[in-house]
Amino acid sequence: MKAPPFGYRRVSSAAEAADALRELGSDARILAGGQSLLPMLSVRIASPSHLVDIGRADDLRHITADNGSLRIGAAATQWSVENDQATTAAAPLLADAISRAGQVPIRHRGTVVGSIAHADPSAEIPAAVLASGATLIAASTGSEREISADDFFQGPYMTALEEGELLREVRIDRWPDGTGHAFEEFSHSHESWPVVTAAVLVLLNGGTIDRVAIAMSGVDGRPVRAGQAEHELTGQAPTPELLAEAAQSATRDLEPFSDVFGSGRYRKRVATALVRRALTTATTRAGGGA
Amino acid sequence: MTIPDVREHTTEKNWIGKSIPRLEDRRFLLGKGGYIDDLVLPNMLEVALVRSIYPHARIVSIDTSEAEALPGVAAVVTGAQAAEMTDPLPDFGPDPENHPWRCLAVDKVRYNGEGVVAIAAESRAIAEDAAELVVIEYEPLEPIVDPMAAKEDGSPLVHETLGTNIAFHREFTFGEVDADFEGADRIISDTLHWGRSGGQPIETVGAVADYDDASGMMSIHANSLSFTSYLFMLAGTLRVPSNKLDMHPVSAGGSFGSKLWEVKTPTIAGMLSRLCGRPVKFLQDRMENISNGDHHGSDRRYEVDLAVMNDGTLRSIKITTVEDYGAYIQFGVGHHGNALAQVTGPYKMSSVYYDVTAVLTNKCQQGAYRGFGSEVGNWVLERMVDLAAAELEMDPAEIRRRNFLEPDQFPYFIPTGNVYDSGDYGGVLDKALELADYAGWRQRQTEARAEGRNVGIGICTCQERSVFSATEFWFWFDEPGAPVSSMPESVTLDVDALGNITATLYSCAMWGNSPETMVAQLVGEEFDVDPQTVNVVYASSNQGLPATGPGGSRFTVMVAGAVEVASAKIKKKGAAIAAHLLEANVEDLTWVNGGFEVAGTPTARMELADIAIQAHLFKHGLPEEIESGLEASHVYDHPYTTMPNDDRTDLGVFYPFMGHACHIAVVEVDPDTGKVDFLDYAAVHDCGTMVNPRSLCGHIVGGTAQGIGTSLLEEFVYDDDGVLQTPSFAEYVIPTSMDVPELKIGHQETPSPYTPHGIKGGGEAGRMMAPAAISAAIDDALRDHGVRVRRLPATPERIVDWIDGGG
Repeated sequence: MKAPPFGYRRVSSAAEAADALRELGSDARILAGGQSLLPMLSVRIASPSHLVDIGRADDLRHITADNGSLRIGAAATQWSVENDQATTAAAPLLADAISRAGQVPIRHRGTVVGSIAHADPSAEIPAAVLASGATLIAASTGSEREISADDFFQGPYMTALEEGELLREVRIDRWPDGTGHAFEEFSHSHESWPVVTAAVLVLLNGGTIDRVAIAMSGVDGRPVRAGQAEHELTGQAPTPELLAEAAQSATRDLEPFSDVFGSGRYRKRVATALVRRALTTATTRAGGGA
Repeated sequence: MTIPDVREHTTEKNWIGKSIPRLEDRRFLLGKGGYIDDLVLPNMLEVALVRSIYPHARIVSIDTSEAEALPGVAAVVTGAQAAEMTDPLPDFGPDPENHPWRCLAVDKVRYNGEGVVAIAAESRAIAEDAAELVVIEYEPLEPIVDPMAAKEDGSPLVHETLGTNIAFHREFTFGEVDADFEGADRIISDTLHWGRSGGQPIETVGAVADYDDASGMMSIHANSLSFTSYLFMLAGTLRVPSNKLDMHPVSAGGSFGSKLWEVKTPTIAGMLSRLCGRPVKFLQDRMENISNGDHHGSDRRYEVDLAVMNDGTLRSIKITTVEDYGAYIQFGVGHHGNALAQVTGPYKMSSVYYDVTAVLTNKCQQGAYRGFGSEVGNWVLERMVDLAAAELEMDPAEIRRRNFLEPDQFPYFIPTGNVYDSGDYGGVLDKALELADYAGWRQRQTEARAEGRNVGIGICTCQERSVFSATEFWFWFDEPGAPVSSMPESVTLDVDALGNITATLYSCAMWGNSPETMVAQLVGEEFDVDPQTVNVVYASSNQGLPATGPGGSRFTVMVAGAVEVASAKIKKKGAAIAAHLLEANVEDLTWVNGGFEVAGTPTARMELADIAIQAHLFKHGLPEEIESGLEASHVYDHPYTTMPNDDRTDLGVFYPFMGHACHIAVVEVDPDTGKVDFLDYAAVHDCGTMVNPRSLCGHIVGGTAQGIGTSLLEEFVYDDDGVLQTPSFAEYVIPTSMDVPELKIGHQETPSPYTPHGIKGGGEAGRMMAPAAISAAIDDALRDHGVRVRRLPATPERIVDWIDGGG
């Protein structure tokens, strides 16, 4: 389990990283925390020609909250984000998801943006990002563009990033005060890979659901939103029966993949249970009685 | 051999029974453990293998030219080339000439992950680069995955020369089985399946070989060194004279059985060292260890009938089992000998029928894993007792108590011929019920169920056989190839001129057990010295005495026997010296608190150090017959073995020192996900006299954690096409400290009448009990859903399938 030969370049800024990607071509990969990429190299699933190490790029390590938006740079570690007061205030759902994304030593190296760019279909952080309606900022030499989370995840380990683009930042717009959040995960052991996760945000207004977001991972080739269930919940009073029905609705049309961690049928069952629990917890946290 | 003398044990002990800090800990905690990966010899090469991507395929051609041309590559060896340099690997199974096991595959591959080509290079990374350049053309063959299909006529064959996939089949009848079944009120029947898992050491199997073509000496540093009496077989494989193979024991980051007799790794390293004329390291990576480590655990399907009376009395059991051994069968069906050693558990049962079929398939072969197959037998018996309790509507503790052997019935010969030396099973059960607060949990369970929670309590009362005899490797056959009868352990004790003691051990270095601590405490007890002052070293095999190493929970008992006699030899010489210098009769000397004194005259006394300096430096002041020095060795042979009878209706005594434990698990099952959480867990063990209670607790905690993994999480999964789906820790999930409950541990000490100090083995404890307790707890939690655990691991998905009735 040794990596194949590769070139290595350390960059000190986002602009240098983008330049390096342009110069080195499509076989170059960004190295951030390396918690997914380096094991892939070790088992030789990936064999990039070059690694562009952004770990010391100062303009990529930011975690800032302003004008209601949380901005996390590509080199900010999971541990620093989940323990950041701006994050826990602006995006507690993301903080919860990060706390389940591997053991503490892994989170000290792994990055939030790296997990998004890696786009593992079962991972925690992409589900939370999707539920949060986040915006992804892709940078290439001389230009930037914004990609909504809905459009960003395209399939297993596939994203909307194009050749030469660096995922520079994730921006999460803060939900209003009083929003309830919940993150639920099923994994076989406490620290093993996630099988299914559910990320939920609920905002109540006068006893009815004003706004709700439901995202799941581990049920499709990419994290998915449950738009139909969100629609059915909006404007309704959150009774246990309603939340259970919404959870059924959230997974009704899914045809999850099967692997050694769980069959598609099992994933669907677990997702339904996790969405129901997450809706219940989030609604309670939002001040509802469910 | 007849029954050995019954010993009198004193309860006055200075060091045995104390939880002293382990001697091994300091160097491991300081990062000075000296593992294989730490060992770097000058000019050393490293090895990587090309392993088969197919479970079953003919090797059409291998092109190594590009790999050989890569800078830094010293040698590229195919299986066919390896077969010209080495002989088949030593194999204790039946008919090895018809399924030869080689260090690399020749002609065809027989499982996904089998080694095909070995590469030695300046670094492991270069060797892996070269491995990617080897071009192998395969002709895929139909994979043989399902053992039930594999044993039928017409199945494709794993080994054509064998002519069948059935490597072994035999029926055994012990006692009056038919009569016992005819007289039974009920026959309880079930079908059970124990899935394949394995021990997971932190450091995998590794070897550093250094062949010296001047002396012809093959030196190999290995963390898989055991059975030193059998190393001549490895020398044969390597084609070196048996007195030119020198194996150096290296500490292992755990074994749990998984390194028991791992000869493939040292063979590949030794072969390449001789070929290249340089030292060679081969350390398996995790995927090699899992897919090609030759030490998967049991994989058994069972049909079982239990004959019971309506009052709960157990009479007889019929067991028919089919075991999926994988592509080879290196230890034969010795795993079933382990099961037969305690097949009736702690219960009075008068007869046993046992039918075992060993099937070969396209999977990594089995080796050893904590329990060596007896843990499976425990699970099966306890599953059946639980089923009987359920059908008879008896409390699971009560049906067990009703059938226990009583303390005054020992020594007790079970139907297979093995003996249980001693026990007090009711005492252990009482302690466990109290420790677990069984009555309280039954109350809390009722309350939880009223809230709709699925809380269950499981009890098991299981045996832990210890200290195996060699007979269990051959009593399967009417005409065994080698009816060997020796399985010794040795020690040398050397008292230096200042009275400081060095103990030399002759088998495995620290494997995760505590051999140094055990020996130091035993020596401390003999000589009244602080165990921390005892120096413990390991000899290489060429300077060695016969030794077997840990396995079958034997090491502490066996080394205690060696220490006892070696100490007596030293004391005898010491007494002669002291008697001479004190001008006393040797019969008048007694050993008191670290020295000899004249009985009744405590001032006439010599300390061990006083005697030692005389022995080392002043020979000419001593009687003529006393040689210089103060050291002694002893080779301790198995203290209680009897031979099987001719028709194998009596297998003899082969696993006589019988430990026992009761585990009580309290779980809650989430019916939505099938996840099992522990609410409580109690374990009371009796392995005779304890040498170090804390290190025994380590065994119990670690073994129980592995038992939890076996029960709920761990499985080597081969898909229908024979492809291994769990090649790394990403997919093969082991429990973490967060998944293992805090155990409540209790002890009972029922000394063995036949061993030094009354010690019994305890090294496999935990894994031999936990699966039975956890299975019962899951049943109990889900009894409203009609769930009965018939298959392990009881993964969350299987549990929800059982709830849904689709299992």
